Amino acid sequence: MDAFGMGLVAAMGALATVAGASEDIDSDIGSQSNPNSQVQLAAQVGNPHRIYNKAIAGEPPSNALWCTTAAIMAYVLIEGYHMPLLFAVAAGASLAALFDGVMSTSAYFGRSASQARFNQWIYLDIVRYTTPSIMAHVWITSFCICLIAVIQVYILTPHHPFPIPVIGLVWGLTVGAIGSSVGDIHYGGEREFQWRLFGQGLNTMLSGQIVRKAEAGLRNSIDNAWFCAKFGGPCTGLAFGLTVFLDNWRTTVFDPVTQAGAAIAMGLFFVIVMNLYNHYCEVSARRKYGPYPGYKGDIPA
Amino acid sequence: MAEKTVVKGFKIEPKQLRIYGLVGSVVGIYLAYILNSVTGTNIFSFVGALAALFGVVMGANAVRRVCAYGIGTGVPSIGMLSLGMGTVAVLFGLNIAEQLGVGLLGVILALVYSLIFGYVVGLIANRVMGFNIPIMEEGLTDLSGAGTLAILGWCFAISGSLAYADIVKDVFNTGFLAIIFICGGLAILHPFNANLGPDEKQDRTLVNGVMVGGMSTIATGICALMTLGLAAGMVQIVVGFAIWYYFYVWYFRLAKRDASAVVGTGLLPPSAL
Repeated sequence: MDAFGMGLVAAMGALATVAGASEDIDSDIGSQSNPNSQVQLAAQVGNPHRIYNKAIAGEPPSNALWCTTAAIMAYVLIEGYHMPLLFAVAAGASLAALFDGVMSTSAYFGRSASQARFNQWIYLDIVRYTTPSIMAHVWITSFCICLIAVIQVYILTPHHPFPIPVIGLVWGLTVGAIGSSVGDIHYGGEREFQWRLFGQGLNTMLSGQIVRKAEAGLRNSIDNAWFCAKFGGPCTGLAFGLTVFLDNWRTTVFDPVTQAGAAIAMGLFFVIVMNLYNHYCEVSARRKYGPYPGYKGDIPA
Repeated sequence: MAEKTVVKGFKIEPKQLRIYGLVGSVVGIYLAYILNSVTGTNIFSFVGALAALFGVVMGANAVRRVCAYGIGTGVPSIGMLSLGMGTVAVLFGLNIAEQLGVGLLGVILALVYSLIFGYVVGLIANRVMGFNIPIMEEGLTDLSGAGTLAILGWCFAISGSLAYADIVKDVFNTGFLAIIFICGGLAILHPFNANLGPDEKQDRTLVNGVMVGGMSTIATGICALMTLGLAAGMVQIVVGFAIWYYFYVWYFRLAKRDASAVVGTGLLPPSAL
């Protein structure tokens, strides 16, 4: 273990935290992934809305695309044209943001046009002011992920044997999967159904009955970003940052070859501690906010 | 609101589209190979990327046919499955052709293998897993073939060669397969995913597919900057951009044609307030 390596691992953890947070907010602005089904359903049950509908293949594949795009550009600039690392990564992230802009707008146009019979209009002002903020968040995500890949391949010893695009693909899938399972619940469960009582769950009757009107005027996707940036985004960032940091930490402190047993034991220790903490969080939330007033005991399935 | 203008649309039968896809793609890849060999340069590698677009359109149509049976969240999965089958088939076909000493027939071998592979996967999906979708076998056969042709076309666009060793060196070892896989996958699955809904139209979906294919061509062009050099890469980027631009504008017009209204700004439709 050396101090430089540990510093790099810490930097990767920090980058991953930022990437996770921006990834989640990006998907929330666009109503991607988990909350998307309700946004899509809303118009079909008679609730046309002014919320962005960015359906790009679920979060893991779409984030894999942004990160891989950034990574190929960075790889070509670094290996083929000997550009500075940071410049190459920034250029890659810009390309990824442009790709995202095209995909997002085409999804919004397409999804809205395919709901013509439900009177879902296409609002061009939404496209104009929401797409740039989606692209900006994608820029941050792909910049951070691509930088992590660059650190792994060129700076951290031992150098990672895989080329940057493959590492970008894997990290992109990971950050998308974590964002989809951690942060989206905050938007899909809380924000879209904010009048719902705690513990009620979402029964079929409520499908598509999302909140369409805001404190003043009609709700738009920027309002959702404001809400999700307070909890869902940081939570996702923390989850992804901890995943990256703790996993690299144990293999940096313990040599993966000579002290493999210790590294594996440390991993098991983390898993057990996190499970206990999860259990504590759930029990404490139920104690503080529950039970749901309409609770009539468990119904056998 | 501007009055609705007449936009070029089309409707193609799946069988016809399959022929266009298979023939167009295979002919395109060989044409690219011949042009490169005859001129002794690698500047015509972009023709391989154009050939991949035929495969993409065929795949996008297969996705919309299979997924119209109520597979909503499965659209991304089926696109990834398509490219996954394609990757296996390409490696198999090119390698076997090389070992048999008929390197040039690698494209055909990969295609035939992938069609059989897709049919078997479709059979398993229907019979064993019980999807009970009547056109599942047909759809997965199409998808597998489309994935294979897309990967082959874009591999050629990056490596400028059909030799197994060159493709492994330029596409697999550099990791550029990652972008072909994910961007090509999105080109096949994004069209239907982006247009999901009861008023989905074939022409809008397929135009979207070509548009995303144009973006993939830009991406492979950037990869080609490293593997083939500045000139060949730039040609490919410019061609990709032209395709993307043309089809994006067309797509926007089709969306305008099909939408209930396109407004600059405004409140909810009067019916919903």
